[in-house]
Amino acid sequence: MLYEIKESILLSFEALRTNKLRAFLASLGVVIGISIVIMMGWLLGGLDKAMQDTFSIIGTDMLYIDKWDWTGNDNWRSVRNRKNITQKQAEQLRKLHGSAEYVIPNINQWGTNIEYDGEVYQGMTAVGTTAENAFTPVGNLLLGRYFNEFEEEFGSNVIVIGHLVYATIFKGENPLGKTIKLNGRPLRVIGVVKKRGTMFFDFIDRQMFIPLKKYSAIWDVDKKSMSIGIKAGVDNNLDEVRTETIGLMRIIRNLKPNEPNDFSINETKAFEKSIETLRLNVYMIGIVMTSLAFIVGIIGIMNIMFVTVTERTKEIGIRKSLGAKKRSIWLQFLIESSFLCLMGAILSLVMCSAIAYFAATYLPDYFPEVSFLLPVLPTELFIISTVVSIFVGLLAGLIPAIRAARLNPVEALRFD
Amino acid sequence: MSKPIIDIKNISKIYQMGSQLVHALRDITVTINENEYVALMGPSGSGKSTLMNILGCLDTPSSGTYFFNNTNVRELNDNELAEIRNREIGFVFQTFNLLPRATALKNIELPLVYSGIKKYERIEKAEEALRSVGLEDRMEHKPNELSGGQRQRVAIARALVTSPSIILADEPTGNLDSKTGNDIMRLFQTLWESGNTIILVTHEEEIALHAKRIIRLRDGLIESDEINNNQVKF
Repeated sequence: MLYEIKESILLSFEALRTNKLRAFLASLGVVIGISIVIMMGWLLGGLDKAMQDTFSIIGTDMLYIDKWDWTGNDNWRSVRNRKNITQKQAEQLRKLHGSAEYVIPNINQWGTNIEYDGEVYQGMTAVGTTAENAFTPVGNLLLGRYFNEFEEEFGSNVIVIGHLVYATIFKGENPLGKTIKLNGRPLRVIGVVKKRGTMFFDFIDRQMFIPLKKYSAIWDVDKKSMSIGIKAGVDNNLDEVRTETIGLMRIIRNLKPNEPNDFSINETKAFEKSIETLRLNVYMIGIVMTSLAFIVGIIGIMNIMFVTVTERTKEIGIRKSLGAKKRSIWLQFLIESSFLCLMGAILSLVMCSAIAYFAATYLPDYFPEVSFLLPVLPTELFIISTVVSIFVGLLAGLIPAIRAARLNPVEALRFD
Repeated sequence: MSKPIIDIKNISKIYQMGSQLVHALRDITVTINENEYVALMGPSGSGKSTLMNILGCLDTPSSGTYFFNNTNVRELNDNELAEIRNREIGFVFQTFNLLPRATALKNIELPLVYSGIKKYERIEKAEEALRSVGLEDRMEHKPNELSGGQRQRVAIARALVTSPSIILADEPTGNLDSKTGNDIMRLFQTLWESGNTIILVTHEEEIALHAKRIIRLRDGLIESDEINNNQVKF
């Protein structure tokens, strides 16, 4: 039995080699089908990774109270008409909140310029915040330290810079202790945040963090809406923290019971939803295309197997006269059709690996949105495509193989 | 009296050809014993091919009984028939019927593969069979690298390799020149003398004369069944 399988594989290889073009054309449908499965898995793998990265930026135990809804799901017009969240409101929330571990006000100044070593760099974001920000995902530093409560209290001239700021300005040089100028004010660099940017947050590495007091010395804090980061501490505390936050914010913002919230609660869950939708779309399109390709593929393989059985009628007769049982005959043809499909799968894997590598390496240079693409196919795809291809081969080869096994030996021997 | 290997009683074979029923064999009764050398003769259409297919368990009779080594062949299913063909019958065909892509040795190994014999034993037996037909120096040759006579020797070696109860040769010299044909007939004689049972299907008188017993068929009936007193020996 084992030897028969081995022999059949060798035979299939031989048949494939003598009929390269025919085998290729026959397995084209399967190649396309497997390729779609692989590409789909690859895209989903990339999306999953992007989602994980995003979660680690936002923090799964974090809520962000903001005037803006980050996913863009809320009505734009009503969001625009919302009143700013003021520093005073943020302070009130910080004082009143009981269930949260930290309540951290943030205020962003987009498109600021910084000066270092006589050069001006544009398009950075200054963030005024408290020392407790160190306990959010932003506090994960590459170099140095975060500013402490004293520095916050005194509005010290210190700054923690994002990874892109560090890479742009210092180009690998040690930034700690260096002075950069923000709006003409000299600030000492005390820390660098680890690289965090992903497809959803490419701006995030342009951020620079300074004590809120320092920020209000440079800019007017009441001109902008604050964003309030709330750390629940532990994930399962999130619901309680959310409920309390909404209640407190409604009181602080003087909302009547029938009025809707005039602020947004941003959290990873919202992104989970939008990525899930994207995932589902990729999945549905993939399923439809894969099914079509596999139907065409199975027909192609089945057809070529019928041709093969006819071509080998004499051989089947000889084998039967020598004592081959039905099992031996159908086994041989099933192995051959599976082998054909497996070769198709290998071809697909090689092709898709190349596509994935080049797409992930070169495409993000032109389209930064696709930086989530993985340069290497996820391992499970290799297993999935192998199993699927063998299954397709068995399915496509079944009827031809049964027909071959049923051939009458006398008639088969007479065949020329 | 040696023991009967083939014992057929009143067998008939009826084919459906379109709307017509063809009686290929009518009520044939034959017994063939161990170590007989029988020639099955007859013109085309006499039913000798049909009889050979039935004797070789490639086909089953429409009626009558067929005992092969005391096994009732009519009661066997396809797999059991395959087993009988594998263990008990060695076929030699007019057109050799070797697998073109396999070497001489692999061709001879094939029946042993189907009987599930281990590799080293297979190779040993196949080499021995090839040696017995004088082709030990052609083991790795493929059929198209061999002459007609050599191919038929490979086919005979393949028939011998399982030590079958009978060797069933269908016009074994039909595609060979007379000198090579003679060589093959000499080989059959040697096999017979060393104890094998041989059934030779032929329409050539000259070839049939090598056998010890000649059964003549005509129109699906046995015309004569007699001992050949003029057996040609080498």
